Amino acid sequence: MPKLNRFNIEIETGERGTALPVHFTINNHKMPLEDTQGGVGAGETFTGGFEIRSFAHSLTLVGPETGQWDIRKIKVDFDCEQNPPYSAVFGQLTLDETTEVNIWQDPPVPTWDV
Amino acid sequence: MSVIKKLSQIFSGSSSMEKEAVENPVESDQPTEPKNPFAEQPPVQRRVMQPTVLMEQVEATGATDQILIKAQPSRDNEQCKFMVNRPLFEGRSWLFSNFEGAAGSPLAEALFSVESVETLLVHDSTLVVTKTGGKGLPAWEALAKEVGGALRKLVEAGTALIAQDIVDKIPTEEVVRKDIQKVIDTEVNPGVAGHGGRITLTAVTGNTVTIEMGGGCQGCSAADLTLKQGIHSAFRKAAPYVGAIYDETDHAAGSNPYYS
Repeated sequence: MPKLNRFNIEIETGERGTALPVHFTINNHKMPLEDTQGGVGAGETFTGGFEIRSFAHSLTLVGPETGQWDIRKIKVDFDCEQNPPYSAVFGQLTLDETTEVNIWQDPPVPTWDV
Repeated sequence: MSVIKKLSQIFSGSSSMEKEAVENPVESDQPTEPKNPFAEQPPVQRRVMQPTVLMEQVEATGATDQILIKAQPSRDNEQCKFMVNRPLFEGRSWLFSNFEGAAGSPLAEALFSVESVETLLVHDSTLVVTKTGGKGLPAWEALAKEVGGALRKLVEAGTALIAQDIVDKIPTEEVVRKDIQKVIDTEVNPGVAGHGGRITLTAVTGNTVTIEMGGGCQGCSAADLTLKQGIHSAFRKAAPYVGAIYDETDHAAGSNPYYS
């Protein structure tokens, strides 16, 4: 598991939006996202990030405190130590007060032509 | 105290002493008990969802005359997957677990002559090579180049890569499904039931089998061992014509793993 220096997240909200702030958990510690732009209302796009500088045993996006949040797409850009930057794109889902979603992806396995 | 207040106390049943005690609590000489930090309710544990990953898979594709081969080692460095833009064993799969089984199959004969190659699993247009030395050395860079070179020569030659007697051994999907289901029902599931687990046959394509591990097996730390040493062995013993065996379980979503 590499050391995660920073991650940036872009969230496209679907039909049902929610209210700011957007929280994430790193190793079960709940924190608000920083450097945020945009919104999480219906049809809006939100961006944020966090300087982690630690090892991510788990990284999740936390659902709203009340109601349901339809997410159309989540894109996460990872900056990990000793790895080139990489991204993960996740498909649509709905979060609520009982759920959070795993947004951690290991760095891709190297592939080359032989 | 006003008369009205006194009357209301009489009718409500509360005495003036009680009221005074509440309003002016007497300081006790007894030391107050420290607050129990565990008395509060723990925060509600949220369920962690596993999202659909939309990233593109790496494959050697393209309607080109050139033979493209991509090598992708596994994270644990034990195996390397070779993806070719040509069929190697169309619609079927086969495991060559040793050199003895390679006789008559040009693909296996050529690749077993490459040093450090231990087993070969060929499925459609992919080849998975396991090397000797397990997860340690040698590194895949040089070995993959050698395997890729040998594979390219064989594909360029255009001849059948797998022996005809292997092709003849493979029965219909119905037979494969029936035989594998029987092994699951009579051997595998009674074995894993003791740990609250169960195995489900989810797909049979040609002689390729896909299973799902549920109950106590889903997310269990020993699931890989159960799969490789228990399920694979049982399947191959009862149905030696079985090729690739895939586990499609989302182990990260397991909520009742054994030893949890």
